[in-house]
Amino acid sequence: MIGALQRRARIATRFILDTYRADRHQPEPPRIMADDKPTTSDEPTGWRAYQREIVFLTVFVLVLGGGFTLLSLNAVNDNVIVPFTAGIAKVSGITLDLIGQDVDRNGTMIRNSRFAVNIKNGCNGVETMIIFLAAVVAFPAPLKARVIGLAFGIIAIQAVNLIRVVALFLTGAYFPAFFDSSHTVVWQTIVILSGVLLWIYWANRFAAPPPPATAE
Amino acid sequence: MSKKKSRPARRDKRGPKTAPPPRIDRREWFTRFARGVALWLFPVAAVWLLITPSYNFILTESAESLVRLTENPSATNLGFEPEHHFLITRSDLPASRGALSSVRVTDIHFPLIMLGAFFLAVPAIPWRIRLENLGWALLAAVFFHIVLAFFWVKFTYATQLDSWSAQHYSVFAQNFWGLGKHLLDLPFKFSLPFLLWAFFYLREILPPRSTDTA
Repeated sequence: MIGALQRRARIATRFILDTYRADRHQPEPPRIMADDKPTTSDEPTGWRAYQREIVFLTVFVLVLGGGFTLLSLNAVNDNVIVPFTAGIAKVSGITLDLIGQDVDRNGTMIRNSRFAVNIKNGCNGVETMIIFLAAVVAFPAPLKARVIGLAFGIIAIQAVNLIRVVALFLTGAYFPAFFDSSHTVVWQTIVILSGVLLWIYWANRFAAPPPPATAE
Repeated sequence: MSKKKSRPARRDKRGPKTAPPPRIDRREWFTRFARGVALWLFPVAAVWLLITPSYNFILTESAESLVRLTENPSATNLGFEPEHHFLITRSDLPASRGALSSVRVTDIHFPLIMLGAFFLAVPAIPWRIRLENLGWALLAAVFFHIVLAFFWVKFTYATQLDSWSAQHYSVFAQNFWGLGKHLLDLPFKFSLPFLLWAFFYLREILPPRSTDTA
């Protein structure tokens, strides 16, 4: 009698444990985003599942580091960056003249009777351009999409940077107390943010291939 | 009986048995993300402004401890100043020399605003996961800020003190600390929020794998 009870208790315990284990090992339903296809059993596992992320981040860091190392060379700075920055100062000066600021330009300097700015590295949009370039190069996309993305991206980043230089000049001229924080925190954030958002827009809309047409 | 039916759908080799969760269109995803970034930017900036004095202090103390770990005897003092600066002084240099350099600490960590906005704005991700990822990203960012402050101090010692720098640092060391500070302070400081975001969320915008479309 006791033996039979023990046997039934063992069977019941095993049943409860099996049910518990089965419940615990139920896979969570995967989240399906964007135009992803449903996952299949052929999908890579382990680190291979993150291979594309690893490749993207590695290429991004290498291009970014290489680009900025190149910028730190005096020859590149003197022959490329300084003339480029002078060009930005010229366009900014013309824009400021158009809104009645009556400025004088001298190289990378812009000044009028109220205020003067010297556009240096960090304020010419080149950093954001290189971050954008590194992200475009690192992202898996067709060559044509990359070229178009780079061309439009660089123009858009420089447009935002032009707004920054003009806005900073006006801030310095009319609200000098706000110039410092506006220069370092506010506009740096806006320019980098716009570059990153631009890249995400490009990657999301143009770099990814269109979903294949399906016959119903 | 009802318990068995309420279990999540199993997958087998023939694909999902039940309808997949609703998908988000790519255009809609970006619109929601951009709107989220714009909306989150101001609350995150407000929080950043609130925590900045405490964080400046923590960062200065941590950087000083890290620099002192590399010195024997310890001589570096990072004096915290108003207006969010720390002053670098050395106890083995004459007091008449004063502060060797001044670094604005907020310049080191203001990209936290971008980081917070990026991580909180990602659409279609449960809040628990968003906050968990943000927590890890903040932890990584704090380590980066301490290392950047460390490089600022070493850069000052190696390149900004004329004969003292030449006497204590080789040409290679001067280039190492100079280039290191340049790379950390410009490209990596600015791109860190994006790098961390990409680490956690790149999958959201990556095109489908080629095996899926085949």
